[in-house]
This record gives sequence, structure tokens and C-alpha cells, in this order.
Amino acid sequence: MSYHRLSDELEYRGISRRDFLGFCASMAAVLGLPEGAGRAIAAAVENEPKPILIWLEFQDCAGNTESFLRASHPTVADLILDSISLNYHETLMAAAGSQAEDALAQTVRDNAGKYIALVEGSVPTGANGAYCTIGGRSALHIAREVCGAAAATIAVGTCAAFGGIPAARPNPTGALSVGDAVPDVKNLINMSACPANAENITALIVYYMTLKRWPPLDQYRRPLFAYGKAIHDNCERRAHFDAGQYVEAWGDEAHRHGHCLYKMGCKGPATSQNCPVVRWNEGTNWPIGCGHPCIGCAEPNFWDTMTPFYRRLPDVAGFSVGEWVDPVGLGLAGVTTAAVVAHGVGMAVRRRVGEGASKEDESEVE
Amino acid sequence: MANKRSTNGGIERIYVWQLPVRLTHWLIFFSIIVLSATGYYIGHPFISVSGPARDHFVMGTARAVHLYAAIVFTLSAAVRIYWMFAGNAYARLTQLVPLAGERLGNLWQTALFYSFIRRHPEAYPGHNALAGAFYALVFVIYLAMVATGLALYTVVAAAGSPFRAFDFLVPLFYGLQMARLIHHIGMWFLLIFAVAHVYFVLLSSITERIGTVDSMFSGYKFLPRRRAGAR
Ligand code: SF4
Repeated sequence: MSYHRLSDELEYRGISRRDFLGFCASMAAVLGLPEGAGRAIAAAVENEPKPILIWLEFQDCAGNTESFLRASHPTVADLILDSISLNYHETLMAAAGSQAEDALAQTVRDNAGKYIALVEGSVPTGANGAYCTIGGRSALHIAREVCGAAAATIAVGTCAAFGGIPAARPNPTGALSVGDAVPDVKNLINMSACPANAENITALIVYYMTLKRWPPLDQYRRPLFAYGKAIHDNCERRAHFDAGQYVEAWGDEAHRHGHCLYKMGCKGPATSQNCPVVRWNEGTNWPIGCGHPCIGCAEPNFWDTMTPFYRRLPDVAGFSVGEWVDPVGLGLAGVTTAAVVAHGVGMAVRRRVGEGASKEDESEVE
Repeated sequence: MANKRSTNGGIERIYVWQLPVRLTHWLIFFSIIVLSATGYYIGHPFISVSGPARDHFVMGTARAVHLYAAIVFTLSAAVRIYWMFAGNAYARLTQLVPLAGERLGNLWQTALFYSFIRRHPEAYPGHNALAGAFYALVFVIYLAMVATGLALYTVVAAAGSPFRAFDFLVPLFYGLQMARLIHHIGMWFLLIFAVAHVYFVLLSSITERIGTVDSMFSGYKFLPRRRAGAR
């Protein structure tokens, strides 16, 4: 069942050739490939055996799964991601209990070294892994077993990629990213963001099906096609940023005119993802597009370093350092000025007082 | 350069600050002024403009000026650091980091003078040891400013730009936002230092009467002969 081809499925599902080619062209666009690439993608997607996917969910909110499920109409992407070769997905699969776990064990056994593991959620390592167990086994145990035998592991969402919210200070469960929890996995790819963009995940898998290799990655092992540019650099409000036009309060004149959200704490200048281009919910809109600053969810340690979300500078270890650094700096500069003036007055006074005794001072110099 | 030392009566004229020292001093001075002013605006854009965005480029200009000033600053600091190893006795690293016993003694005596205990300063042609120690700290802050600045720049550098190579700095600072915070703190350190520096240079000029302020323009200081030992 796991190796059948997409072309039969498309026909069965009533998806037109036109829609299918449109999908392939859009994937080429997301991947930043040249025009002819759409045809190559179509050929690969149609004829190549689909990779077998295993979707594991650990310590998170199921937001990444939700993000896929909430597509407003079934697309070719849905077919690739969840209809065909997704052999195990706790939230989506019909099987339950030991039946489900058997399916997982069998897929791992039969396809060792061939399947792709997609992992959603962080791996808690505290209390011997007791914070997250499935079928009586800890997340760490499952991750080691399933990711260890995978051809590639895709960490879906910021929790899996970087630890995310569970790993935020003080990290009570000892949560780790998949890469940190199972350091020796093959071809780890981090698809961060909260949630990860379904469009990018699909594009990643299509890339692999077409070119038989994984795309170039950045230093956090994120594909450059999706994380190669700062949000700020492709933002539709950038002209207002450069001009000097900023929203100062929610709903003010500037906000209604769509000015830049920089002063409302926008983290677009510190975040790399293709949201301004790919957008969300099939290109409907994206956070900055609808007037909310970027919260930097695709970056490592985002909960600890991007908060407070509505200020420019971060807090440190729970102290409002970011809020106070500039007022305190200005104050200290003022205090220093006052101090040196006072010191100067003291020096002048002493010179005057000491004038009479200046003969005796000469000897002190040597 | 021929007359590095010349005497006239009891006063000796000593060539203390070589051209690279003076030049980088003033380039660093002016670039810090420009960087602080534009940097403050970038952190807190207090000028807001109205009308179509295409008519204005306030933040764009501030950022461009900031980036060019940063280049001047970085190169000047780099030349000055190089000169700590290649320059004359007064420009050397040993003048900044007080390790020799004599430098530590001078540090202590200078501190005594500043705290009103010692009546007259120990006149010395180069930096006094206390000032030197502060300059060493300032150069550490320069490096932190350059590193955090480069880290912040990597994310907006064009794909394929050589500046992208500095992205390894970002995790060292625990992310771009922490780099940004350190960049702010560093600016205040430098501005506070500048206030103290100007004051103590004036104080030295007035109390030691060896031409401290002039020396950063001319390179020369004037010391009574018997006190003019170079080290
Ligand atoms: S809204 Fe955010 S990402 Fe967009 S231009 Fe302003 S600061 Fe940059």
C-alpha cells in the first residue's frame, strides 16, 4: 500500500490535471526553482514511489497537525502529506491502542532506513522521560527507535526543532529538541515556526521526491528556501519602516493605514522565514498582513528571547532588562556627568586651599 | 619624526602619540557620535513622518549612515588594535593592561590622586595606568559592539553576501534579540566612558600641565626633564 503512485489517486479523487500542474508550479515557486522545474516536479510526484512517512507527536499542542488539517479544501498537498503514505499519525489514524503501536513497529521494521520520520513536539527528558509516554514508552525511547532507523528526520514546528515553549525557561520537564535528544539521527531537517507552515513541509517533501536529496540548510539545519531571508526584508510594510512611519498604539491612524509595526515590538527584523511570500491558510493572509507584529516563532529560544512580544528588546531571566536598558543608561550617563562635575569642583577647591602649601608639594612629585 | 625628544630649558618635548593613534582616536570618536545618534533613532524612532511612504527615507537614512559609520569604526578599531603590537612604547598593549609592577604602582597612585588622597598626580608621558586599564575595557566593549553589530547584520545581509559568514555569532549571543540588547548596553557604556574620559583628560591637562589635550592633535607632550622617563 505504501508504494502506490499518486497519478491513480488523483484520478480517483477527482483532482484535475490542471490543478495538479498548478500545484507543482506553486511548489517550484516556494522552493525558488526556475520555471521548468514545475514539470520535473510533476513527473516525479506522479511517477516516483512516495516516501513513507511516520508522524510522531510528543510534547506540544498538536498545532502543527492542526495547521495541516485546517486547510479549507482538500489539496494535492493533503494527498501527499496525509492521505497516502502516512503510515502512522496518532491524531489522524483510525487505529488505536496496541493496533496503532503494532502498525508503527511494523512500519519501522519493514522499512528501516527508508522512511521519513516527522516529529512534532519536544522530547522531555526530566523524570526519566515520564512527562510524555505513549503506549508505556517514553518519548525519548520512541524517538531513538523511530528516528534512529529513519532515512531522514524532519522536526516539524519550533518545539521539535528547538525545544520551543516546553523548553522555555525554567524548562520544568527538561524538554529538548529532537536534534538534541537524538543527536545521531540521519538528515535532520528543522522546520521551525509555531506552527510550521504546511506549504513549506510539502515543498520539502516534493523537493526530496524530485531531486532525491535534501535542500541546502542554514546553521540551524533549516532549509534555505524557507528560512533564507528575514521576514523584515520581504515585508509589505517595509516601505513604511524605511520612511519612518510607525504604529504607536493599536488602532491608531498609522495602524489603520498599515504602517510598520516595529514600535509595537515586531520581531520581523530578527526572524527568518518566508511568511511574507507564502503566507498562511493557502495564502489568505499572515500575522503582519493583518496588523499584528511578528513574534519570531521560527527562531531558536523564541519564547525566552522574543518576549515581551510587544517590546523591541527582550527581558533577561524574568527581569525587564529590555524595557529599562535605555532609560537606565541615560540616567547613568547623567549621574556620571554630575559626578565628574562634582569631582572637578572638589579638585579646584583643593588646589585653591592647597596653594599656600605648594612649596612642600614639589617634593611629593618625585 | 627626527626630533622625537627635544629639550628646551628644563622641559622635554616627547613624541608620544603616533599618527595612527591620533587618526584612529578621532575616527573612533566621530564614528561613535554618529553611531550613537543613529543607533538611538534605530532603537527608538522618535521622528514620525506623514504622507506617502515614498516621500520619506528617515529610518533608511539612519540605517545607511549607521552601517557606513560602523565600517569606519570597525576598521579604525582594528588599526588601533594592530598598533597595540606595532606602535611605539606608548601605543602598546602593555600600556593598556597593567601587568608590570611599575604600571600597577602608577594605577594605585593615580587612584589615590583621583580620590583626593595624593596631592599631585604622577606625570607620565603616555596613558596613566588607570586610564590605560579603562581603555583596555573599552576595547573589549568595541569588540562586543562589532560582534553584536555583525550578528545583527547577518540576518539582513543579501543571500550570498560574505557578511552571512558571521552568522555563527548569532547563537553565541543566544539569538539576535540578545545581541540587540547587548548592543544597546554597550552604547551606554561607551557614552558614559566618553563623559569620564573627557573630564579626566581635562583634569590631567590642568593639573599635570604637560599638554594632554594638545597631544591628541600634535602627538607631543611636554614634560619636565627629570620626570620624562618613558617607562
Ligand atoms: S512590520 Fe515588522 S517585519 Fe514588517 S517592516 Fe515593520 S518591523 Fe519589519
